[in-house]
Amino acid sequence: MTARPEGPDYAQAVWSWTEHLRSGGSTPWSDWVAAGSGADAPVPPTWSPPGAAQLEVVRRLAGLAPARRVGPAAFEALADVVVTRSGPGRGLAQQPLSFPSGAPGRRFGAPPTDPSAVPPAELVRVAVGTLTQLLLEGPGAPPERTELRRRPLTRSPAFALAGAPVTTSAVRRALGAAGHAEGGRHPRVVVLAEPLDQTLAQVWSARVQRGAPVRWGGFVERWSRRRDLPPSADFVRLARRWRREVGREQVHVVVTPADPARVVADLLGVALGRERHPGLRPRWKDLSPAAVDVARRVNAVLNVRAAGPRRADAVRACATLLAAVDTPAPPLALPERFRDWATTRATRLTDDLRADGYPVHGDLVRVVPRFESLPTAPRHDDVLRVVVDACLRRAASTSS
Amino acid sequence: MSDPVRPEVPARPRRVLVHVGTPKTGTSYVQDVLFLNRETLAEQGILYPADRFDEHFLAALDLMELHWGGLETQAVGAWDRLAERVREWPGTVIVSHEILANATRQQVRRALDSFGDPATTEVHVVLSARDLVRQVPAEWQENVKHRRTFDYRTFLDKITDPARDGELASWFWGVQEVPDILDRWAGSLPPERVHLVTVPKPGAPRDLLWQRFVAALGLEDVELELETDRANPSMGVPETTLVRRINQRVNNGVLANEDYRQLVRELLAHRTLSRRSGSPRLALPPDVRSWAVELSESWIEELTAKGYDVVGALDELRPDAVAPEFCDPDAPDESRVADAAVESVVTLLDEAVRLRHVEQRLNRDLASALAELDRSRGLWFRVKRRLVNIADDNRAAAMGLAVYRRARGKVPG
Repeated sequence: MTARPEGPDYAQAVWSWTEHLRSGGSTPWSDWVAAGSGADAPVPPTWSPPGAAQLEVVRRLAGLAPARRVGPAAFEALADVVVTRSGPGRGLAQQPLSFPSGAPGRRFGAPPTDPSAVPPAELVRVAVGTLTQLLLEGPGAPPERTELRRRPLTRSPAFALAGAPVTTSAVRRALGAAGHAEGGRHPRVVVLAEPLDQTLAQVWSARVQRGAPVRWGGFVERWSRRRDLPPSADFVRLARRWRREVGREQVHVVVTPADPARVVADLLGVALGRERHPGLRPRWKDLSPAAVDVARRVNAVLNVRAAGPRRADAVRACATLLAAVDTPAPPLALPERFRDWATTRATRLTDDLRADGYPVHGDLVRVVPRFESLPTAPRHDDVLRVVVDACLRRAASTSS
Repeated sequence: MSDPVRPEVPARPRRVLVHVGTPKTGTSYVQDVLFLNRETLAEQGILYPADRFDEHFLAALDLMELHWGGLETQAVGAWDRLAERVREWPGTVIVSHEILANATRQQVRRALDSFGDPATTEVHVVLSARDLVRQVPAEWQENVKHRRTFDYRTFLDKITDPARDGELASWFWGVQEVPDILDRWAGSLPPERVHLVTVPKPGAPRDLLWQRFVAALGLEDVELELETDRANPSMGVPETTLVRRINQRVNNGVLANEDYRQLVRELLAHRTLSRRSGSPRLALPPDVRSWAVELSESWIEELTAKGYDVVGALDELRPDAVAPEFCDPDAPDESRVADAAVESVVTLLDEAVRLRHVEQRLNRDLASALAELDRSRGLWFRVKRRLVNIADDNRAAAMGLAVYRRARGKVPG
């Protein structure tokens, strides 16, 4: 069994390792201790050692800082944010670092650990707390332009989009960038239908980007108990609402197109061509499951840290930041126990859409989920990679 | 922010007494007495800075960045507001909440720093503690009352695992490991400013624990009203089992947190099931009991060596030599559980009847308000409303309404 740490040797080792990490070093704790580094380090009298998780997060940040162009001063400031605060919410107790000297130590408290053995979930918790702090401390993100205003005498055709929120946002953005703004009298309506499980994942992403702290599993669970589907996933209700306004022949259902913007542009008879409004951004970002998970964890911390416009600013800044550091990944699959429900609901959607007789582009059967082998929850390692990157990006941007 | 009565105070350091736990040691009662008597206390120069009974709980959520079933949204900035009131008060201030026991060293540092300049502020830490053999079952029951569904043996296995590698074990030890809590909260304080209040053994005079709190918090000279209606009563074995089974059925979206708090925790657990008498009480199985006895000895040894101010006796942290009979909540007497369930159904029926009466009264009020509103509106409005109602069932009328709405620019976007 590892001896519990105590005494100046331990404090000196942790202090010197902390300083090493703050200056951008990334030597693992075990190597640091084995080399006997820091024996002469003068430990400030009021200093108390951070926990293993905080220091490991700093080490992970240090490993990536040069590649992310975070300067020494900015990195030191970032490291100080990590080590002077605790992980938010509930998690493991703050653990001291394992130390092999055999010195008699504290008999109580959390057991010591090698920082490299701290579970990724715990590192995520600490890093999310850090990211939240950075979002609240730094400048807010300027509001993004997500909609193009339709001019009164425009020659663009009248159109309206509805359906899977992330896909719809991307199409709206592509058309808007080409100069085609949604709206107009008696519009042609395009309902963008994705497989129901993927649509739900998009609705979850949009809810989180609006500030909800809900987990994927909890989100699906809640909807599975309701009679209705989320409004933007209920393609039948969306289409029928528009049918009452514009007539059946004006409502087109587009199913899982490979290039949705192109398909919709063709349907409307417009060209995407040159981007006339390149600054336009999609309202809902196409975030990977790991990035959505980071955002919902940040939202949970924001619930207790900020309210009103300050919270809204931080939520918006978080989504923008995550979109900048994120890499594409397939959506999450539905947990096994919801698959029958989703199949039943999706089958009913396709039956009703077919019975209603709209022009359909694509195969309606594809609305029914196929549950290909995908994870049903974000992996902690992926979440950690995203949140670490986001911290570095934020630190670099606020220091420049 | 209402601390209107400022006492004349002699020139001596301000005192801040922080009561940081532990749970299930009479903390709810103490906090309620302090809250209800806060004006009397202020007249004596003692501030209990709270405008609502859970103000220190919210401050603790803020300090520790904890979410708590949605309550955390009310906690934004609560610690800073509390600390500001502490700093502004020239006399003695009392802060109390049991979840503070779980604060990390960084959070403790922030809390202590926020109370004011150490040169003029004398911080005292108060911790109330009860023997582990009573605390362990009480903690499981508290978990059950907070929607948890794990059985007793799972709970015991997790907390007795030395690795403590999980949220449950981390929280348990964070709020119950007395030597570690005091090390985190009072490591930088002289031992005479650390007050350990021990909970008397069963059979002791009813007010003995309160008298110890009075001594630890320096309330001897204040005449306090002690009648409160807030407490955190405990349930017996079948009742706890019943609530755990209810949790298994109502979690995952059936009952929202606020509804759960009102209906399950307050109405059923606190106001119905905990009042049932004659049920066997929760206890430790023999194997866990011997582990707890051994651990308690090491705590007593450590606490003795630290030299803290003990209000009561460290011996009271030593479990009784004679163990009560163990009644396993994972294999309960089903007839007792059924009795508890029937009583719960009756309670819920009573509540449903009460709410039906409220609903009927509100419906009557609403109907008369609508009639009053109708009388004040013109004929044209009443005709239009009639047409809209017809359009719900009549296709021609629906098309006409759509045309009308388009003309008025009310097409959905």
